[in-house]
Amino acid sequence: MNISIGIADILLISPLIALFVFSLIPITIKVLRGNVEQSPAATVIEALIGLTLTAGLLILFGGSGKTAFNGQLVFDGLTQWMGLIAVVASAGALIMMYENPATKGKQFSELVFLAMNSILGMLILVSAVDLLIIFIGLELMSLSLYLMVAMSHEQKISKEAAIKYFVLGSFASAIFLYGISFVFGTAGTVNLIDLMDVSAGLVGTNKLYLFGIAFIVLGFCFKVSIAPFHAWTPDVYQGSPTPLTSFMATAVKTVSFAAFLRVLATKPLLGSQNLFDVMQWLAVITMTVGNLAALVQTNFKRTIAYSSISHSGYLLVGIITAGISQNSAFSATSVIFYLIGYGLMTMGTFAVISLIEKDENSVVSTENLAGFAKKQPLLAICLTVFLLSLAGLPPTLGFFGKLYLFSSAVNEGLIWLSLWGVINSVIAVYYYLRPIVMMYMREGDCDIADEGSYATTVLIVVAAILILTLGLASGPLFSMIERSLV
Amino acid sequence: MILSGLIFLPLLFALIITVWPQRNTVRHIALGLSVIEFVISLAMLQKFDPASSALQMVEKTTWIERFGISYFVGIDGISLMLVMLTTFLVPIIILASWNSIDKKIKGFHAALFILQTAMLGSFLAMDAILFYTFWELSLIPMYFIVGIWGGARRIYATIKFFIYTMAGSVLMLLAIIFMMRLTPEVTGGQISASLLDFYKLRIPFIAGEFFTAQTLLFFAFALAFAIKVPIFPLHTWLPDAHVEAPTPGSVILAGVMLKMGTYCFLRWVIPLFPEATEHYSWIFMAVGVIGIVYGALVAMVQPDVKKLVAYSSVSHMGYIIVGLFAMNAYGVNGALYQMLNHGISTGALFLLIGMIYERTHSREISKYGGLASALPIFTIIFVIVTMSSIAVPMTNGFIGEFLILLGSYQYSPWVASIAVSGVVLGAAYMLWMVKRIFFGPAGEIVKHAAHDKEHALHDLSVRELVVLAPLIVLIFWMGLFPNHFMDYSKASVDHLIKNKMGYSLVLTGEGK
Repeated sequence: MNISIGIADILLISPLIALFVFSLIPITIKVLRGNVEQSPAATVIEALIGLTLTAGLLILFGGSGKTAFNGQLVFDGLTQWMGLIAVVASAGALIMMYENPATKGKQFSELVFLAMNSILGMLILVSAVDLLIIFIGLELMSLSLYLMVAMSHEQKISKEAAIKYFVLGSFASAIFLYGISFVFGTAGTVNLIDLMDVSAGLVGTNKLYLFGIAFIVLGFCFKVSIAPFHAWTPDVYQGSPTPLTSFMATAVKTVSFAAFLRVLATKPLLGSQNLFDVMQWLAVITMTVGNLAALVQTNFKRTIAYSSISHSGYLLVGIITAGISQNSAFSATSVIFYLIGYGLMTMGTFAVISLIEKDENSVVSTENLAGFAKKQPLLAICLTVFLLSLAGLPPTLGFFGKLYLFSSAVNEGLIWLSLWGVINSVIAVYYYLRPIVMMYMREGDCDIADEGSYATTVLIVVAAILILTLGLASGPLFSMIERSLV
Repeated sequence: MILSGLIFLPLLFALIITVWPQRNTVRHIALGLSVIEFVISLAMLQKFDPASSALQMVEKTTWIERFGISYFVGIDGISLMLVMLTTFLVPIIILASWNSIDKKIKGFHAALFILQTAMLGSFLAMDAILFYTFWELSLIPMYFIVGIWGGARRIYATIKFFIYTMAGSVLMLLAIIFMMRLTPEVTGGQISASLLDFYKLRIPFIAGEFFTAQTLLFFAFALAFAIKVPIFPLHTWLPDAHVEAPTPGSVILAGVMLKMGTYCFLRWVIPLFPEATEHYSWIFMAVGVIGIVYGALVAMVQPDVKKLVAYSSVSHMGYIIVGLFAMNAYGVNGALYQMLNHGISTGALFLLIGMIYERTHSREISKYGGLASALPIFTIIFVIVTMSSIAVPMTNGFIGEFLILLGSYQYSPWVASIAVSGVVLGAAYMLWMVKRIFFGPAGEIVKHAAHDKEHALHDLSVRELVVLAPLIVLIFWMGLFPNHFMDYSKASVDHLIKNKMGYSLVLTGEGK
């Protein structure tokens, strides 16, 4: 093996380097000032500059299709787009952290440091084409996240969430790693590009290889909360501070799906009908469980947590489609497009919740939203847009996401999965409408906690505008993503 | 450009209303803007060529190229009168709600204008995804109108309305996606969502086998529209929505939104799936006549006058379905005419009920009685509208029902004979209701009003007369000179009936 690291490699990973360097700035300043926190505004601005630079470098170098470090990392359209979604979603979460009562405060620069390193893990994850590197990315991302959840000065529930997340997450990682060992043992390689040629054949003929792939899939199912591996999601999402919940539900999920997509792009589904069937059932179960459980929730955050599980189900339909499709660029584009919409609307919803929270222990139940439209008409309209988009109603981005996702599924003949998808989106309408009912049709005095939370407000309004316009102008965006993937 | 103007001007109006600085002039502005919209639609009517069955004033530009989705609108005789009905009813509704809507006035008018955009868009869209967008968009403002300005059980009613309609339409979305996937066969490789390309598909039909493409697609579309119409037994959302909706909401729901369902049968179901339509038309005939009789019987026993009218809607929509699925010139022309009639007469009934409710705050029929002596003008108008609703000759209802019965007789004398019973039942429950409310000994409310000077009943105000006058004029105009209206739709309907097995449309206009 020829191991050499050249200037080209460095250029390719420049987004990652920039991210790491910027993650050090706030924490270094804190050390230099004798352990005195600089103003949180400065910290968050430094972080956002870092993220902007990262995004710029990703756009510049990210989509060339070149590989770095001996084919361990690849920078293609998938890396670029998934990375950008993750970076934007993380930027949104950082803005929320700056103004949320549970996260702003004494250890803010440490929190930002961890968040930036978690994003670093995400970028490794989206660019990795080697199962071990995927594992490293996954762990870097998750370990930072466990700490972030645990260090918030919220009381018991977030500690519980952190422990739960850590134990179950580690369990999933172990299974994932175990799967990799099977793959290495049978195929002799863990590089996805090499596996591309052999995967479909091996999975049908070699039971141990099938085991390996199944364990890897299971590990991913854990990370993206596919039922029946979703049990941690509602508790962790509810227990974590809202900005971190948004971070997990958008950025973490996006990149996990990106890596999932890369693994399935080696076409193991074409070789094993059993694996294919199981995956389809997982999608159906996830959509149904997520939606049915969301129906009976009273806590708004928990409702959205279950809604995010059902969206994982829709996305799994897209992933399966890409896994069996001859024209995977098209199906993968649908997934990316869906993730853009899902990221924006979930982030927006959590941002509104984050504004309503009065202190680190406050619980926002759906009932609490009563009267919100009277006090905050603009935010209420934005939340309505997010919820209608989550429900998949035109003319929002959520509708076009579903349209493209199910179009690509129908193209591959997965009509029954699409049927489940659309039936589920009707069930979902009920719980997405309930907060709207509360805001507009019931008397109450729900208001935001701090009138001065301008940054989050701007974030919400921008997200709402994007949801309304990107959907209608989705033609060029879709073609652009698809071109970058081919 | 005139069609796009018609569709999107109300959206602009909604924006103007939202940012309008003075609260007390919002109504005036809204009324003015809606009249402008109506005038534009009259200009469009002038440009329309009634002799042609072509799709006119076409505008077509690519919207989402990758999926062959285009912004494609056009008008023909089938949609023309429904578009006119929509633009005509909105100013009337705004004027009618002058006093009854007293909270969140801006929000109400903005929602009304967005709804108008959605309804016009659904009538004019010739691209499946564009159509679906407008179709679903129409749910959102209606949801708010019922939910915010409605009665006591408004939230239950509005969620039921939303979920019912949505449940039907998602299957249609899947059917649209499936048909888009088939289009490369007829367009030479390019995927397309254009309705005209869908018309060319000629999806194979095997009689008697349910799990074949055309049958499944037919039922996916038909279910969506059947819920919207609503056809028995999918009608249960309608009485709830009607009763809980504020008067303007009921008028727009009965007047236009139900017609979106019946119109789409003509625009989508019959030309797209002609064999399946013919093969399964008996189902729709059956549920149509059941709806006629059932709606009438249930209406008869309602203690609440608004609910009575709501169930009469179920009965009337049954007629329209029977007319459509007779699939002959009489039936379809009658159905199309009856759509307008129902919009005008049921709309007028809801307006009248709203006016009396504003005075007495009661809709219990048993509390009324002898109202004719207290409110003579109101009574006269109410009786005229009732006559129109029960299809007395010289009123518009007669023409529509008569044509539908002729058409259904051609289809099957049995269907016609059961449907005729609906005419009798309709007369029975409407006249009985009129008798109980307006004639006979003075009821609780009239007595109370006679003693109490503060609650005295005032007859119709000038504003209310202005609201009702155009509807009364139309009732007689359409009853005496049906050709003035039917001439616009005749060519298109004849074209559809003659070529239903190989339907296609010629385009005229800018974007062809």
